[in-house]
Formats: sequence, C-alpha cells, structure tokens
Amino acid sequence: MSVETRPLLEVDGLAAGYGDLQVLWDVALGVRAGEITVLLGRNGAGKTTTLRAVAGLSRASAGSVVMAGNDITRLSADARVRRGIAMVQEGKRIFRRRTVHENLLLGGYTLGLGRRRLAERCGYNYDRFPMLRDRAGTPAGMLSGGQQQMLAIAQALMAEPKVLMLDEPSAGLAPTVVKSTFETVAALSAEGLGVLLVEQQVDHALRIASHVVVLDVGRVVVSGPASEVGDASVIRDAYLGRLS
Amino acid sequence: MAAGLRGRRPPWALLPLALAGLTIAYPWMGGGPFWTRQIILIAVLALTVSGLNLSFGYAGELALGQVAMYAAGAYVSGYFAVHGHHELLFGVLAGAAGALVVGIASGVPGLRLGGWSLGMVSFFLVLLLPDILATFSKQTGGYTGLIGITPAHLFGHKLTPHGFYVATIVIAVVWLAVLRNLVSSRHGASFLVLRQSPVLAASLGIPVYRMKLTAYALGAIPAGIAGALFAYLNLFLDPATFAFDAAIAILAASVLGGSASVYGAVFGAIVMQLGPLRSTGFQHYALVVYGGFLVLSGILLSQGVAGIIRPLLGRLVPSSRTSTVAAPAAVADRAEPAPRVPGDVLEVQGVTKRFGGVVALDEVSLRAEPGKITALIGPNGSGKTTLLNIVSGFYGPSAGTIRLGGDDLHGRAPHAIARMGVARTFQTPLIPVSLTTAEVVATGRYRRVGVSMLSSVLRLPAYWRARREDGEEAARALARVGIPERRDQQAASLPLGTRRLVEVARALAGGPRVLLFDEVASGLDEGDLAHLSDIMRAIRDAGATIVLVEHNFGLVLDLADQIYVLVNGQLLTSGSPDEIAAHPAVLEQYLGVKRSAPEAGARGQPDGRTR
Amino acid sequence: MTTVWAGLSVGAIYVLVALGYNIVFITAGTFNFANANLIMVGVFIAYWGLVQVGLPVFVVFLVAGAGVLLVAGAEERVAFRPVKHHDGHLVTSVGAATLITGVVQLIWGADALQVPFIAKNNPTSVLGGRVVPVELWLIGLALVGAFGLHALLRWTMVGLASLAASEDREAASLRGVNTRWLGLGGFALSGALAGVIGPFVGPKTFAFAGLAIALALKGFVAMAMGGFGSISGCVVGGFVTGLVEALTARWVGGTYEDLTVFALLLVILMVRPTGLLGERTERII
Repeated sequence: MSVETRPLLEVDGLAAGYGDLQVLWDVALGVRAGEITVLLGRNGAGKTTTLRAVAGLSRASAGSVVMAGNDITRLSADARVRRGIAMVQEGKRIFRRRTVHENLLLGGYTLGLGRRRLAERCGYNYDRFPMLRDRAGTPAGMLSGGQQQMLAIAQALMAEPKVLMLDEPSAGLAPTVVKSTFETVAALSAEGLGVLLVEQQVDHALRIASHVVVLDVGRVVVSGPASEVGDASVIRDAYLGRLS
Repeated sequence: MAAGLRGRRPPWALLPLALAGLTIAYPWMGGGPFWTRQIILIAVLALTVSGLNLSFGYAGELALGQVAMYAAGAYVSGYFAVHGHHELLFGVLAGAAGALVVGIASGVPGLRLGGWSLGMVSFFLVLLLPDILATFSKQTGGYTGLIGITPAHLFGHKLTPHGFYVATIVIAVVWLAVLRNLVSSRHGASFLVLRQSPVLAASLGIPVYRMKLTAYALGAIPAGIAGALFAYLNLFLDPATFAFDAAIAILAASVLGGSASVYGAVFGAIVMQLGPLRSTGFQHYALVVYGGFLVLSGILLSQGVAGIIRPLLGRLVPSSRTSTVAAPAAVADRAEPAPRVPGDVLEVQGVTKRFGGVVALDEVSLRAEPGKITALIGPNGSGKTTLLNIVSGFYGPSAGTIRLGGDDLHGRAPHAIARMGVARTFQTPLIPVSLTTAEVVATGRYRRVGVSMLSSVLRLPAYWRARREDGEEAARALARVGIPERRDQQAASLPLGTRRLVEVARALAGGPRVLLFDEVASGLDEGDLAHLSDIMRAIRDAGATIVLVEHNFGLVLDLADQIYVLVNGQLLTSGSPDEIAAHPAVLEQYLGVKRSAPEAGARGQPDGRTR
Repeated sequence: MTTVWAGLSVGAIYVLVALGYNIVFITAGTFNFANANLIMVGVFIAYWGLVQVGLPVFVVFLVAGAGVLLVAGAEERVAFRPVKHHDGHLVTSVGAATLITGVVQLIWGADALQVPFIAKNNPTSVLGGRVVPVELWLIGLALVGAFGLHALLRWTMVGLASLAASEDREAASLRGVNTRWLGLGGFALSGALAGVIGPFVGPKTFAFAGLAIALALKGFVAMAMGGFGSISGCVVGGFVTGLVEALTARWVGGTYEDLTVFALLLVILMVRPTGLLGERTERII
C-alpha cells in the first residue's frame, strides 16, 4: 500500500530526437524512491531516446526533467550525475581496457575523492557483487557478458545515485543470466533506489514492476500502477496499436 | 552516389562536353598566352586533385602524397626530354609510370594500416623530395633544378603553343571522363564499400589489398600525367615547386570542391589557381589562405562544394543523378514465384579454434542442408560468432575442415570464400554511406558477376548488361524482403529493422550457396520479427541453405528445422526444435529452468526476447 | 659519443613532440597535427622575448607558456570541436598547422633566426663527448615531462578519467566526466608544454617556419614506434629516432638522415603497427 509520495524523478512534456528526426513528442513519467518504473514499447517507440534525454546525452527540444525538486533539463550529462541520476546504457558500456577496479573508481568520479579514498568506497559494491572482487585486477574486456553487465551496474551505483536508469540490461545475455540480473535490480529497488527500467522482455519486467509506462511513436499510451495495468495482454494490445 | 551532372538524357550529358569544347577552342576565340598558360595550369592541378579525390574521397585512403607523384612524373618525363626523347605521349606515359611506382610503393604501408599512419607516411614522402633529388643530382639537377627540357613533339612534329594547349586539354578531359565513368559504375560503389569497411568489402568478394592498391595507382597516374605536362609547359623544373606548400594547396583544392567528386576537382583547381592572381602579395598570404580554406571547408562543407550542388541539382533535375544500377523496367510482380536460391550443403567437421591460450571452439561439427534453416544458439562467449567468422574466412581454424558442397573453404581469404557463394549479415548492419538502397543491395551481386574496369570506363556492352542485371536483381531482392519502395532512399539513414532487411536482400542478390545470418533479429520488435520470419521461411522454401546464429530462443524454436547448441565452445547437443525444447541440459544451462517439461513461454506465444 | 649526445638531444625534442601528441590523443581522442607548429610558436616567442624585446627570462617562459596555451585552446575550439568525425580532424588540423605557419611567416619572415640560450651555452665534455648545456637540458626536460605525464595518468582520478574518455567518451560523460573540458584541458596542457620548451628548442634548431613539418613527422615516428597512447613508448621512440638520425648523418651523410628515419618508420609500420609498447589492438569484426 504505497502512499502517493512525490516522485524523485519527474519527466513532463518531453520532446526530443536526433537531428531532423523527431522521436519523442510528449512523454511524461515519474520514478519514486524504492519503486521500479518499467518503460515498454515497440522498437522505434522512443524508449532509449527517453532515457538518453533524461540522462542528458540528447537535448530535449521541449519539456522538463526534474530530479529531487531540481530542474536539470538544461544540464549536461556529467552534471546530471552529480544531481543523483545515473544511467546504465545498453550494450554493457564499461571501459574494457581498464581493470574492474578502475572501472569502479571511475563510477565514483563525481564524489570528488582521490583514488585511495575512493577505493574504500568500492568495498560496498564488492560485497554486493563478490565475483567482481575476485576479478578486481582483470581488464574489464575479459569478463563474460553477464559479469560485464554486473560491473556496469556496480559502476553506476558508485556515484550513490538516487535514481538508476537501465536500458535493456538483459540484452544479449543468456536466459540464466537474465534472471539474476532482474533479481539484482529488484533487490536494489527494495533498498530504496528509484529505478527506471527499459525492457523488451515484457514478462520478466512486469514481474518486478511497480509502475508501467508504455510508449508508442513517441507518446505515452499506457501509464499506471503495475497492479492495474500490468496485465500482459493489455500491454500487448498497446504494442500492436489497438489502444491508440 | 552521384559522380556529377550527367544522366542518361542527352541534354545534360552534353554540358561538360560543351564546356570542354569551348575551352579547347579558347585560343582561337582570342585567348592570349597568359590565360592559356593559366588554363593549362588549372588542367594540371585538376588532374592531380582528381587523383587525390579518387584515393581519398572515394576509397577513403589517406594517401596524400600527390606532390611526390607529381614530381616523379615531372622529373621522369623531364629527364627523357632532356636526353632527346620529347614525344609528348611517351613523356606522359613515362611520367605516369614513374608516379605509379612511387604511388604503389608509398601505399604499401596503407595496406595493413589506415588512417593517420598512411597520411603521415605520404606527407613524409613530400618532405624527402629535396633529399631524393639531391641524391640523384646528376639526373635531376639537384637543388638547382632540371634545365634544358626540349619542347614537346607530337608524332615527330614540334608542337606550337596552341597545339600543346589543345593536346593538354584533350588529355585532361579524357582522363576526367575515364575517372567519371569509373566512379559512376560498380567500381565507384566498390570503393565506397571499401571506405566504409574493409570487412564488408571482403565479405562481398572484393579483394581488399588489390582494391587499395588500385586506389593508390589511380591516385598516382593522373598526378604523373600532370607532372609530365607541367615539365613540357615550363621547360624547366625547380625543386621548390614541389614543396610541402604544394601538397597543402592540392588538399585544399580537393576539400573545397568536394573530395568525392570528379567535377569538384576541376572547381577546386580553378579556385586554387586563379585565387592567387587576385592579389600581388599572394605569396605572403598563401599559407594563411590555404590553412583558412582547409579549416573552414573541414568544418562547414563536409562534402565540399559538391555537397551543396548535388542535392540542389538532384531536386531540380531528378534525372541528373547517376546511379550505379538501372531502374528496373517493370516493377517486380510479387505474385511471381520467387526464383530458386541455389543452396548447397555446408559441412563443418571437428573445427577447433584457439586464441592464444583460450580455446574458443572445441571440435565443433555442424551440417546445414539446402531447404532447411539451421540455427546455432548458445550463451555469450559460447563461440557462435567465432564459428561464423571462421566459415566466412575471417579467422582460420586451428583444426578441422569446412566444406561447401564439394569445395574446401579452409585457408582461403574472406573475399575468395565470398566469391564461392558464402553470404553473410553482421551483428551491426554494415551499410555504406552515399549509396541508395538499390545500389547497396546490388553490391551483393559483385560476388558472383564481375565487370572489368576497362568495360566500365569504355562503357562496353558488358557494363550496360551488368548495370541492367544489377538493377533487376536488386529490385527482385528488395521485393522479396518486402521493401521495394525504399530503393531510391539513402540506405544508411534507414531505421535499424529496415537496414537488417537491406542486409538480407544484399545477401540474397547473387544467388548464395549458403546464407549466414548473425543475430539478424536483434533489436527488432514483434512486428519486424514476424515479417523477418516470413521472409526467412520463404527463402528457405526456395531452396536456400540458411545458418542462423541467434539469441532469441522463441524465434529459433519457431523457425529452425535443426538446432545446434554451443556452450563454452563445445557442442552440447543438436536436434529438432521439439527435442531441444525438452532437453534437460539445454533448459538448465541456457534457460536456467530446472524442470524437464517444455516451458509454456517457449513455444507458440510471443515471449520476451533475450535481445 | 658526441654523435650520441647530438642524437639524444634531438631525440629529446621528438619525445616532447610525441608527448604533446599523446596528451591530446588521450584526453581528446584525436591527433593534433599542428602540435609541432605550437612548439614552433613557442620558439618564435622565445626569439621575440629574448632578442627583439629583451625580457627577463622568467617573463619569457610565462609569455611563451601562456601564449601557446591560448593558441592551442583556440585551435581546439575552432578546428576540432566543430568537426564531428575524427577523419575531418586531419583536414582541419593540417589547416590549422598551415595557418599558424603562415601567420608566423608573416610576422617573422622566412629566414632562420638564431635563438640564444637563457644561460651560458659553452660546450663541455661529458662521458667523452662534446655536448652543449641546452642539449642536456632538453634530454632532462623530455624525461621529466614523460614522468610527469605518466604520474598524472596513473595516479590521479583526472588521469584515469582521461584514459576512460579516450576509450568511450559518451560512457565517460555518463560517469560524470566533463569530456568537453577534458579535451580543451588536454589541448591547453599540450600548448603550455609546447610554449615552455620553446626557449630550449630554439637554440638547438633555430627559429624558422619550416621547422614544424620536420618535427611533426619525426615526432610521429616516435609515437608510431612507441605505440599510440603509450608514454614510455614515445620516450623510447623519440630517443631511438634521434639516434638513428644523428648516426646516419655522421656515418653516411647529411642527405640520408631523413631517408633513414623514413625507412625506420616504414619498417615499424609494417612489422609492428601497434608499436613496441602500444595498447591499440586490431579487432577484425
């Protein structure tokens, strides 16, 4: 029974695109502390574009992004990290030539600490992901796909974000690893992190979702608590365009 | 990919010819010696720049040492002229040959490397010119220069200044026509493919080293011709002419006019040659001006002036854009039965691959038959893509054999394997820029049917036939994958799902004996996936041998006739979809499910996908 | 031995050029062809300060360092930032280099000018070879510069951020690294370095407009030998190049020194394209 708290992350009227191509027309969504908002939709609907615009990698042509009460719409991507929002991109984009430990240190760049002090902060993430501690000195490129995904998440967590955004964390991973990835995300949310999750794996995502938002051609067509909206057939209808 | 202003309609084709004719007639229209000299110098510069445009603009190779080849052409023909051989055509050929040697030799490092290394080597060559000239000072006159070049003769008769002028312009026009014919043909498309990705080029049957060397050669020859003409114009060669500043001027002319353009070379040459005449103190400001041009052109005009003119022209006069393929005479009729695809048996036996100490594949065997879809699944790092890369020739196996039909694929270069009928797609679609969809699909046919450069340049019947057939086959392939309406759009700007379909169409063009699809479904939504599945079934039913590497288990169960499961480089099991879906080890290792009954979500229902 | 000192001192200049290349390569992910031109500007500022105006030495260093820093920063803003693709950087940086040379030539003309050393420059004998103090200074500067850069990269967070940004700029910005400032900072640092060494390079090479291209190319040889992005590599590469050049000039002849270095470059590129200590590896697909 959740009290209607103010969302940590509020996106309103967001419009964005790439060059001439407008992908998002009017997107609104919210992410609350301790809850998982799942963003679904067909390819080309604008899910990744939404995350990129919220993260600051793409410029929004209209709308606003507000984080913990602060308007971050005009800030650059690196500045937004300092405001408590971190993104894990699709494709496990860690730094392959750097070691696992260095990747974690980089995650904590915004904390403004020196290397030694930062190394102490890594302990928390090594506890959560013990297989990273075993490979702390290994170049990240030599890890398996699943391990790299864990590293990407741990790296983002180093910045002590309040909201974590994940873009298809299960992409390219074998089904066993997919399960453990979703379990990790659910556990993080239970600790109080707000999570915005983009996924193609509808069933897996719905199992852990608190809120569901479905995009179609750059607009929101379904939005609400998972208990009301989380019926897979409703989602599928949205995908096949029967609702709009 | 437009090479210029010419289409197949007569009025536009005549414009450049008319201009050439006017230029040739100039002396008789009242042009004096000053301007005829300027026009010859423009022609000489245009020739040199055209070479740079081919190797840099089209083929994407940073072979920037045109000045060195220009110098080679000038000194070689000058040397012969000093010693009595002053026949113009001989001098031009000798100059071209000298430049060719320099061009190929200095391009060799570029075969294995690209980019900056090649660029710096070519600049270095320019720096070395004075030293080289001094080393051979007996033949070249060293720092003082080569004097005593006798004026050019044509077939024994000494050429008058007007005669020399006409000969020079004619030679320049002929070369530019040759180049223009070349780049608007398949070979131009091949260069653009090479520029985009040597891996793609090899997979289309284009021999990468040979193509690069051809680019270096074609970049060098016109510079050599230009050098010879300059030697005959000046009758004296001063080493200071061939300094680094000249290399900058050539690069600036190329970038200004548009590096991937034949006419751009002429425009750039005109500006660079005539610009200095405007101010008497130009020598002082030369470098500042060249530098400024380069910076501005680099920022503002990413494709030079040609980048502005072509789209304008294309909008005004649609027929002016020259395509490498002909538009099909009639739209392909979808009711027509799809032509057979000549699939063959792919037999992989005991293939092992080691990378250093890591065993990526361990005694893997696989058999893919025509009229069947054979899928290869497994977790990340299981070796699926490695196996595909071995079959297509990008890696050699440490052990084992690979046969296609009766042919042994082992140990062959990727382009040779492509020519034997192996077609593939890539995890990230590799689509060259500046080509339309139809042109991109047509490149798939280069594997099977070749056209010589000579035919293309001379526009022999073989060229026209290939052009027509390329267009027809591209149209058929596009119709087969359901996107015939995209034929004239720029392929690189299409959405991901459509680009995957373009790759499939390209693989089909040229009747492959086996099709290798590398995660072709990744990134596609349900609608695209259903469409792709239909297409694959249709291709299979037409007799193709399809090997599908995939993560999407549901798609594989739905589509495949036979499934091979790879885990950690070893074959776990193989069988029909029903067998695999019920196989306990597969369920446990791959899906993470602990029971032996088939998962409800695995069959029949559209489930989420792993990618 | 005299030849060895000559080789090491000119090699030190190549090391310094290659260090400048590497700073920009690591922080901005691109190759600044005009780096040697920046050093040339530093040399001319030294000439101007020491000969034409007669400024105190300390001021000359300040003006040179600050001046070239500004030029480098301007170059980044004008010739690099607006260009999207790295391929375009070759054209614009060659343009910037040409522009800088042109301006220098306009101001100081095309003749070679002698730059006095800031201290006494009397030849001495070290380890059996004749050497001039400025040459020893150059060798020392090259080593100190390389060590300083190495320390920066390995031991500070900014250094780690640079290495990460050189691998994947977008991912780095998502981790909070301001890649724009990083790139600009790298250019500025390479400019400051180029300016500050001007008073040392000038006495060795003379101040003339054609200096830049020779340094640019030989510095590239140093970088190719050592591997792109490798600090220790470019130290080895620079000194080896200098020695090869000096030894060839001594034993074979002056016209052959550049040819030999060129041959060395070709051999390296053909045999070990990633350099002796480089990190770049080829991936096929």
